[in-house]
Amino acid sequence: MTGAAERSRIADPDLAPGGHRAIDWARRHSPVLDGFVRRMVDDDSLRGRRVAIVVHLEAKTAFLATVLADAGAHVVVAGSNPWTTRDDVAAALVERGIEVHSSRRSSTEVWESDLMAVADTEPELIIDDGAELTVRISRDRPDLYSRLQGVSEETTTGVARLRQLEEAGRLPMPAIAANDAACKHMFDNRYGTGQSTIQAILQLTNRRLPGMRVVIVGYGWVGRGIATYVHNLGGRVIVVELDPVKALEAHSDGHEVSGLRGALSGADLVITATGGMRAIGQTHFDSIAPHAMLANAGHHDLEIDVPALEAVASSSEEIRPGVTRYQLDGDRPVFVLSGGALVNIAGGLGHPIEIMDLSFSVQAMGCHLLARGGLPAGVHPFPLELDHEIAIAKLESRGITLDRPDPTQRDTLGGLLDLTVDGGEDE
Amino acid sequence: MNDTGRGMIDFARQFMPALETATTTVREAGRLEGRRVGVALTLEPKTACLVEAVASLGAEVAVFGSGHSTKGDVVEALTGSGVSVFAEEGAAPDRVAELRDRFIDTRPEYLCDDGATIVRRMHGERRDVLADLRGVAEETTSGVRPLRVMEAEGALMVPCVAVNDARTKILFDNVYGTGQSVVMAVLDATNMQMSGKVVVVLGYGMVGKGIASAARALGARVTVTEIEPVQALAAFHDGMRVGRLSEAVCDADFVFTATGVGHSLTAHHVTDMKDGAVIAVGGAGPPEFDPSIGPDLTESGEVRPKVRSYETAAGKTVFVVADGYCANTSAGEGNPIEIMDLSLALQLRALDFLAMGDLSPGVHLLPRHIEDEVALSQLEAVGIQIDQPTQDQIRAAKSW
Repeated sequence: MTGAAERSRIADPDLAPGGHRAIDWARRHSPVLDGFVRRMVDDDSLRGRRVAIVVHLEAKTAFLATVLADAGAHVVVAGSNPWTTRDDVAAALVERGIEVHSSRRSSTEVWESDLMAVADTEPELIIDDGAELTVRISRDRPDLYSRLQGVSEETTTGVARLRQLEEAGRLPMPAIAANDAACKHMFDNRYGTGQSTIQAILQLTNRRLPGMRVVIVGYGWVGRGIATYVHNLGGRVIVVELDPVKALEAHSDGHEVSGLRGALSGADLVITATGGMRAIGQTHFDSIAPHAMLANAGHHDLEIDVPALEAVASSSEEIRPGVTRYQLDGDRPVFVLSGGALVNIAGGLGHPIEIMDLSFSVQAMGCHLLARGGLPAGVHPFPLELDHEIAIAKLESRGITLDRPDPTQRDTLGGLLDLTVDGGEDE
Repeated sequence: MNDTGRGMIDFARQFMPALETATTTVREAGRLEGRRVGVALTLEPKTACLVEAVASLGAEVAVFGSGHSTKGDVVEALTGSGVSVFAEEGAAPDRVAELRDRFIDTRPEYLCDDGATIVRRMHGERRDVLADLRGVAEETTSGVRPLRVMEAEGALMVPCVAVNDARTKILFDNVYGTGQSVVMAVLDATNMQMSGKVVVVLGYGMVGKGIASAARALGARVTVTEIEPVQALAAFHDGMRVGRLSEAVCDADFVFTATGVGHSLTAHHVTDMKDGAVIAVGGAGPPEFDPSIGPDLTESGEVRPKVRSYETAAGKTVFVVADGYCANTSAGEGNPIEIMDLSLALQLRALDFLAMGDLSPGVHLLPRHIEDEVALSQLEAVGIQIDQPTQDQIRAAKSW
């Protein structure tokens, strides 16, 4: 390919050397993407296909882009968030002949125009995050939207948006719910967010976790992961849930379960992981203990209603990089980390590479499946057999092989039920 | 005026109640007023809180920090506040040596030392200032060791307090502080996942125990190597795998040294490691990991900030975090604030204890009541009350 540099919009091409090193490091820790996936997608089904990747643009994402490009796809990349792009990685991708439209801390307008620039390359296939590109194309480029051949979606939020489109009769192409793959949400949402959220909070604040009273709002995959890491590292977990079954699960896992107000009044650290908005809002500020720190691990930057906090605070100041102190009632300071944005990405390095190796393997295989064609329009689950193959490839990269089931281990008592109709069951 | 450094110092101070209490206690005693105090600890925001506390007592304070662990923002914030600062972030070894000697030139009467770096120099090439030195508070295991050797050889000319050995220090700073922050600093430097990894920890002292338990808490499978049978048995009882270093390193993803002793891990071991293994030091720094002993290892550049690669003759690559300096202070911000609250409160109490002037040259422990007072001051600050023994219990405990 020629002319990637001319077509791209990045901050500074001279930053490429640092970006290459970061991508090479990501490759080293991505054995599934670099092995199993590379072999599987190298069947010419991606050759010459236009693929758009709109995911947080850093080294791991960049490595995914290079794997698809190596399989012959024409890849175009933009960041799924105006704040998280790594400019050195973007520059390195351009040097590798991949078109990029993204720069760190761009304005919302510039970010929107970057997404439209990606749309203008008329992608056939999209690897999306939060369905950000898909939703915009459906709204602003109806002609192009009708020609899209598939979308593979990274997040819980994006899958929900695609299902809304489907229900409204406005999803004319197949979409893969990559998020719902076991190799994605069981690891990315739980271990990835769990480790990296705690890591980012400790790095941002230099505080001590043992003995800390940590309130976790929401006990889905993300909340569960965070609770496990906090507990294991010596923190005291208090879970807040609205869903009674999840609350019971938290209780059975040995965590204290409490209402939000009571929990906030004794908190040293509050982490939101609800996936909704305003989990902590106007009506809760009175209950927050002095010196408590608030951080968000969920999708929405508004899980903690920072604008409302700003409005009631008598003053606010960024007292350490990424740590803003809000004075409430004159003398009750509370601290918000990374402005309420996803703390592990905005205040840290994002997920560990090995986790994204799994998530992006799912995305790459989803994209490959769509490229091969044959799927009807609508949201599809990620095929179970591919989930298994990815898990096996990861285990093998760690030197682990699995036993096969022995025929004598099968439950034969099912025969007593006399449900056999035509005896067609195989071994 | 540097706002970042000032903000970080002010943020830290809010979570250092024990240091605040100790400052009040020492101020009432009045012994440090007008004294020349040297602080040669890792120069970051928490240490700055100690420095400012000592200065607030009316002492003349000089500060020294090494090149690899000094935080420039903090230097800027302290400079111009009446404290003499001899530290520059990233200073080369020659420059650090020059700064160190200028720090020694301030002729400190009382010294907070780290690794006995300064006090050893004052017993060697800089004996010219030794006459002014009245006492030393030593922060680390790695510093107390040579002080005890000096004492045994009759070479130690000043009273030294082994702050490191206080229970309120070693049970928390070394285990939770260093253990957790070393592991976190390595994850921050590498962006790697810990769960499912094979981790080898050299040494099961307080730091090794902390590293091993933090790694396990994050999902790693941990093998401990030891030369002390009792420590090895302790690791076994904590559920760690225990084995010989030469075998354990073969399948390690991460190798942490926590021995505090030079040449603990060498190129001999690296040769047997897996391609891609990551090496980090949680102990004393170079030459705890010594790449110069054994088969040739070729340094092949910085692959990302704070991570350098080495190639073996067989073409394997291993990665070393923070050039083998203690990873938490060199690749991170050091121990957590609340942990250093305890350690630095003890440092301040140790300076005051030394200033009472009752101690002979040698290595001394802090009295138990000081350990207890510092522990109680933090417990009270987090709202925890504990019981007192009843008269019956006291009688029972004293009977036979």
